[in-house]
Amino acid sequence: MTAITGVGAYAPRFRISAEAFKDAWGQFQATGVNEKAVPAADEDSLTMAYEAATRALEASETDPAAIDWLGFASSRPPEAEEDLTARLGAMLAVSESTTRQLFTGSTRAGTRAFWAGGDALEVDAHTVLIVAADAPKGNPDDVVDHAAGAGAAAFILERDGPAMVVDRAEYAAPYPGTRFRTTGENETQELGVTQYDRQAFTETINGAVASLEGEIETDVAAIQAPNGKLPYRAAGAAGVDTDEIQATATIHNLGDLGAASVPVSLATALAEDYESILAVSHGSGAGADAIVIDVSDELPTNTALEGNDPLSYAEYLRQRGIVTTGPPSGGGAYVSVPSWKRSIPQRYDLEAGRCLECSALSFSPEGACANCGTLGDYELLQLSGKGTIEAVTTISQGGAPPEFAEQQARSGDYAAAIVALETETGNESVSIAAMGTDAAPDEFTVGDRIETTIRRIYTQEGVTRYGFKIRPLTDD
Amino acid sequence: MRDAYLIGAGQSPYGAFPNESYRSLFRTAFDATMNSVPKELEADEIDEAFIGTLGVGGRQLGLSGPAVTEHVGLGGVPTTRVENACAASGFAIRQAVQAVKSGMADVVLAGGFEIMSDMSSDATKYWLGVSGETEWERLSGTTFSGVYAQMASVHMEKYGTTREQLSRVAVKNHSNGAKNPHAQLGFECSLEDAQSAPIVAKPLNLYHCCPTSDGAACALIVSEDVVDAYTNEPIRVTGVGAGSDNVGLFKRDSYTGIPASQRAAESAYDMADIGPSDLDFAEVHDCFAIAELMAYEDLGFCNRGEAGQLIESGATELGNDLPVNTSGGLKSKGHPIGATGAGQVVEVFKQLSGKAGERQITSPTRGLAHNVGGSGGAAVVHVFEKETEVKS
Repeated sequence: MTAITGVGAYAPRFRISAEAFKDAWGQFQATGVNEKAVPAADEDSLTMAYEAATRALEASETDPAAIDWLGFASSRPPEAEEDLTARLGAMLAVSESTTRQLFTGSTRAGTRAFWAGGDALEVDAHTVLIVAADAPKGNPDDVVDHAAGAGAAAFILERDGPAMVVDRAEYAAPYPGTRFRTTGENETQELGVTQYDRQAFTETINGAVASLEGEIETDVAAIQAPNGKLPYRAAGAAGVDTDEIQATATIHNLGDLGAASVPVSLATALAEDYESILAVSHGSGAGADAIVIDVSDELPTNTALEGNDPLSYAEYLRQRGIVTTGPPSGGGAYVSVPSWKRSIPQRYDLEAGRCLECSALSFSPEGACANCGTLGDYELLQLSGKGTIEAVTTISQGGAPPEFAEQQARSGDYAAAIVALETETGNESVSIAAMGTDAAPDEFTVGDRIETTIRRIYTQEGVTRYGFKIRPLTDD
Repeated sequence: MRDAYLIGAGQSPYGAFPNESYRSLFRTAFDATMNSVPKELEADEIDEAFIGTLGVGGRQLGLSGPAVTEHVGLGGVPTTRVENACAASGFAIRQAVQAVKSGMADVVLAGGFEIMSDMSSDATKYWLGVSGETEWERLSGTTFSGVYAQMASVHMEKYGTTREQLSRVAVKNHSNGAKNPHAQLGFECSLEDAQSAPIVAKPLNLYHCCPTSDGAACALIVSEDVVDAYTNEPIRVTGVGAGSDNVGLFKRDSYTGIPASQRAAESAYDMADIGPSDLDFAEVHDCFAIAELMAYEDLGFCNRGEAGQLIESGATELGNDLPVNTSGGLKSKGHPIGATGAGQVVEVFKQLSGKAGERQITSPTRGLAHNVGGSGGAAVVHVFEKETEVKS
């Protein structure tokens, strides 16, 4: 049996409204989307996966070392080739020997990961973490881009718990051309053959739901939502009322979440204490998964789906990198990929060192102790991710290293600080330079409390380097 | 140990010179230096050369010292390139003094050069901040404007230093630079100009930041055994001090001062057997306005935290108690990285020789030069005394 024992969800803080699109284009093609979440320039499906998974782990008080199966699902992984579960696993501090699986290729990837995680529990896994994160992208003048949102959901799965998977079924039938992206292309396309697209959607959903063993008597239905209309058109096919779909719909306020659409709706349903949930995904190709979950007891959840920072359409184009041209060519203070890799324990997991001679902390734990000068070894420890700003500036145009010119063009001025990062007890700290994120630069001042998160730092030679940044502390 | 003397110093103009190469600029500085020696000095009397450069733009990364000395006809002279970021030629001067004091050389050329303007402004930025801590400091999104802005944020928070006080540094240094024909930005600026310029890194605006520059500068350091052959007005190098520190600001205990400068000043004052109140003027490293204010405190011109009041009092203006950066400083005269430290010594030489023109201080006998590498990873301080008057 498969049980959900912890839930996390995340959406970026930026929002753009349907009105902003109408102002820019004279029309808005994604009917039913009132506003949608927009990833910041330093976010992608990997960083959003980290945000959601961290919340699921914290809510359920699960030790990352206990995770023995990790699944990551996205229709838009930031690299087309390269197994990102290695980096995601390291960011989350799961074991190197944890089984990792990457799911992609369609918006059904999120429920595919859920499915495979359940299978793993039937075999030898005990604690499964699955994360679905997505930020679809289309051409600026088409419906895919107008609808494209951003968000992520993560679930801890175990063999027994307060929310049990009581039934599941799948269905596939060949429907080429409803939503696709050819290898090498960056924008997802739809031919827009209206009736054909609807048929692909409803046939697969109906096929999966019809294959369930029991009667459909759920309170709420998390249905794939590429736009604001299709899920409701599939109500009959799924055997539910439109009210049951609307109750946890994410399309209206977050937009098309791709492979995270059904997972985020499911996370929302679980956070709102519904007792019986039907989750049905659809992916082009086409196929569908139907999953029925019964909730018998309270479930630890942590969902952060709110966002209050509105973008104009021009800011949206900048933030998404549609109207920027990338970093200038040249070279200066170059950090090679191997040297970046060596700093990953610090970048992802805040690994500091304690001087064996004087007990002072050092970050990074290398070279002579900054306190006593001893050139010896360090006892390694992980910092808490909380701390205080010691010095800070806002970097304006002209003040950024060229490595950050593209980011600055996209997201504007940013805060750069020196922060005292604390140990788990909060009794000691060690200073390090870090960039601000997730808030306007004037929200960082000397003495403010901060926490770390993981974001894209910069991209050079085609390789994106991820590492911690700081943001105002949300709760202490 | 033998005494070392400054017998000549000269520089090229600082600025942006599309028609000049690093070698042609160095030649201009070398010629000016040779011509500044009161008596005759032949090039073949030079025993040794130390040349500071960072190598901005990636040109001549290896052997860039010999590349300029051979260009000015010193092909056989042992030449060493010195690299300590923005303090490169300040440390070249120090090497020259050490060579003379050790007895290994009698006549030593110390200088520096940099070309920073012959590439796009975007490409230039790849080189700004390359002398900071790269993996963490730079990759938190800072170049030196950001790092000095962080120091300013703490100085303002801790001591109540104001943006207006920062702007007064620019006003003073531009006022001095307007009197220096070699200055890159040789124009006066009003306090209002210096207050309203675009922000680069909060709280620092454009007028709180020095420019990027092309330029070269040299000085000649000789031993007490030969000094009389070259001048009747010997200027003795009485104080020499240097310090190093963590390259990254975040590794240091204090963000409101530069410990390397403090150590350098302490050693230099000790050796010269003087205190800051004995100085007649100083050239300090004002790459950013906050850097000049921190220098006031690090060099002991005022108590810690009181630099804002000192600039506001006018004490460091030309004609007052302790004129600072009579040349215009890095802010107005310019900052061709490798040339800057030697360029400061050029101003000291001119002031002590009575050849500073419109900006001449009345009968100075003792001046200080303070040169910082990066955000304080290295610093060097020299004290020079005009011996003819000090002796009496």
